[in-house]
Amino acid sequence: MSAIPGFMKGLGYTFKQMFAEKSTYDYPNEPLKMPERFRGIQYLDVDKCIVCLQCQRICPTQCIDIKGKPNPEGKGKVLESFDINFEICILCDLCTEVCPTEAILMTNNYELATYSRDELFKDMKWLNENDENIRRGDA
Amino acid sequence: MFNWLHGPMTVGTLLTISVLAVVLLLIVLAFVTYAIYFERKVIGWIQLRHGPTEHGPLGLLQTPADVLKLLIKEDIIPKLADKPLFILAPVLAFVPSFTVVAVIPFTDAIGFTDTNVGLLIYVALSGITILGTLLGGWASNNKYSLLGGMRSAAQMISYEIPLILSAMGVIVMAGTMNLREIVEFQGQMGVWFVVPQIVGFLVFLIAANAEMNRSPFDLPEAESELVAGYHTEYSGFRFAIFMLTEYVYMFAMSSLIVVLFLGGWLPPLQWIPGLGFLKAVPGIVWFALKFVVVVFYWIWLRGTMPRFRTETLMNFAWKVLLPVSLLNLVATAVIKALV
Amino acid sequence: MRTEELTLNVGPQHPSTHGVLRLVVKLDGERITHVEPVIGYLHRGTEKLAEGLNFTQIIPYTDRMDYLAAMLNNYCLVHAVETLMGLEIPERAEYLRVIVMELNRVASHLVWFGTYLLDIGALSPFLFAFNERETILNLFNELCGARLTYNYMRVGGVKWDAPEGWLEKVDEFVKRMMQKVDEFHTLVTGNEIFLNRMRGVGKYDAGTALAFGLSGVNLRCTGVDYDIRKFKPYSIYDRFEFDVPLSQEGDCYARYLLRLEEIRQSLRIVEQAVAQIPDGPVMAKVPKMLRPPKGEVYTSIEGARGELGCHIVSDGKDKPYRIKWRRPSFVNLQILPKLAVGLNMSDLVAVLGAIDIVLGEVDG
Repeated sequence: MSAIPGFMKGLGYTFKQMFAEKSTYDYPNEPLKMPERFRGIQYLDVDKCIVCLQCQRICPTQCIDIKGKPNPEGKGKVLESFDINFEICILCDLCTEVCPTEAILMTNNYELATYSRDELFKDMKWLNENDENIRRGDA
Repeated sequence: MFNWLHGPMTVGTLLTISVLAVVLLLIVLAFVTYAIYFERKVIGWIQLRHGPTEHGPLGLLQTPADVLKLLIKEDIIPKLADKPLFILAPVLAFVPSFTVVAVIPFTDAIGFTDTNVGLLIYVALSGITILGTLLGGWASNNKYSLLGGMRSAAQMISYEIPLILSAMGVIVMAGTMNLREIVEFQGQMGVWFVVPQIVGFLVFLIAANAEMNRSPFDLPEAESELVAGYHTEYSGFRFAIFMLTEYVYMFAMSSLIVVLFLGGWLPPLQWIPGLGFLKAVPGIVWFALKFVVVVFYWIWLRGTMPRFRTETLMNFAWKVLLPVSLLNLVATAVIKALV
Repeated sequence: MRTEELTLNVGPQHPSTHGVLRLVVKLDGERITHVEPVIGYLHRGTEKLAEGLNFTQIIPYTDRMDYLAAMLNNYCLVHAVETLMGLEIPERAEYLRVIVMELNRVASHLVWFGTYLLDIGALSPFLFAFNERETILNLFNELCGARLTYNYMRVGGVKWDAPEGWLEKVDEFVKRMMQKVDEFHTLVTGNEIFLNRMRGVGKYDAGTALAFGLSGVNLRCTGVDYDIRKFKPYSIYDRFEFDVPLSQEGDCYARYLLRLEEIRQSLRIVEQAVAQIPDGPVMAKVPKMLRPPKGEVYTSIEGARGELGCHIVSDGKDKPYRIKWRRPSFVNLQILPKLAVGLNMSDLVAVLGAIDIVLGEVDG
């Protein structure tokens, strides 16, 4: 075997690889499914939020903006507005880790590309409607 | 066709030959289009991926799409570039590549020239391309291009010598430089020149690779070192011309190898009696098959090998290939004189 | 004949400078007379930002320093904090940490392998290496939800336990990768052109290496046997059997062989860890607000590129007073001007690739 010059062994290897199985994904023709724990865009459940502001405090890039108002029916606070600035959100998952009521959860969606930077500023309504592929809490 | 060349020239013959020449040009262009596609597919398969698949069925329209994009781009000439030379360089590089295709005999009936110095014309004309690349490197007013152009000139000049010397072994054995007669001589010999001239064949293969500026000898356009070498500043249509040059040379060089060493249009294994039925397949099919094998070899080599260092490249040409091809020539001459 | 020295700018955008690095090169014909690296194009001020964040919030930032080996960066920070606080980490967490760190080392070396050979001119090994790396990234995706910036380790343990069937997949991968390393050797190591490009290029000896403060493979290729996992074992590395590859040559070929050998040794460690991993909790009992006591600590680990160290000065609050990371690529890059004198352009690219830098780490 050592009599064969090294580069011919290389040529033989690449020739065999020509018939091996291809390892590319056919994205975007076929959607790419992410595993259960994938950290995608957040989902917000407005009713569960108690405006404790833990997520705003833990966020490493300060991308969450919360405004609460006193609860008209009962005690505590409810949400008035909840914005996440996706220009700086790094999808690090610390906000879901500290939330005591599991009001904010990650989904498995990752398609965030938009044509204009204004659309990257997601508000409460959008985050509430982003309810597909929500990550299970016990994953 | 060769009868027309040897007979008197009439208006009818002239017109027919011109039309056939245009047909040949179109065939060469079609070859270039699908050679690019073939290269991308084969390299893709080597690298465990599919290659072009999006445009057209199986990605067959990928090259026309690329060429269309290149043609409709804005023609940018850098402000401080030497304008006449900048425009002249791609033309000088490209015109010889098409002209040398004229000397190749494709079958015993199809060929455009029948001169006694066919090989000499080929080598002489392909030397003009070196001027084109050097001018392109100089006229761009860009240090990367200059380096690339210098490297290219040094490399192509150095490797022309082993190229010619290894082909000389074939000429000594055949006794003629007429390419059609070389193929007929192989028919008479019974074996192709690749067998008695195996050393010459290997040297020719390596030197041809260097002449075409392809990997592993692609220093002049080393992507990871010099961005793109001598055609860094060219964009759009002019870049398309440089690319066309490279692929037309692949056509011309592969055809030359098939004619000189692999028996042209002759069917294989003719020395085994009983295989006469192979003669029923037309010569052009055999030519095309051998041609495809040679082209595949260039692509396979590109997908596997890294590139040489500058000094190794030069050392290899002058200290290894040149002595080997000289020895081959001397041995051929001695054996021919004795036998 | 009058000749002039040519000043070439191997600019911030270039196909082979592994990131945004600028090299101002003075050439005499094709020989290099002087090289000056200009860095700072990727500086994001991580160390300064860290002064306004508490320790858990700094962990996503460490992912982005050496983005090819993020687990190792995570570990460097949490190890320093745990040493300062004197915490005891559960066994299962330690084993999971070792598994992900060594897998990440393999992934980083695969990227190095692919890009180095791409610089040298071979187009195909890049894709073979990235094919294997895809498997590792998919494993990490299942484990912690991201492919490149993991945010996986926490002070006191790790965030998630391994999901069902994950450890079996790791074991399968280890077996396949061991074979693939042999295939890489078949493709590359015997090839005469590669040997000609790498052998004898960029040679230096142990004295120079120690004087410049090199570490990792760049030091071990000269014969100095210094691997922090053996010299000052941290975590549970003293429980595993592995060799530290050494060479005496000191050229690019030695570094290439050592990194491929390191892939094999890392796979050995992963195999043993998967076999030995116990059950248990993955996070120690730590208070919600991490307040390390007042003091300073410097700890270092064996990163993918060399000695990765973290120096924390804490004044009792939940945010550090000052953090400094000793980043190996920043230190290793300093030897380039010395090695580059007298080479030609192709060799410069080969030498720069063999030092193995990541610009995220050089600039911080």
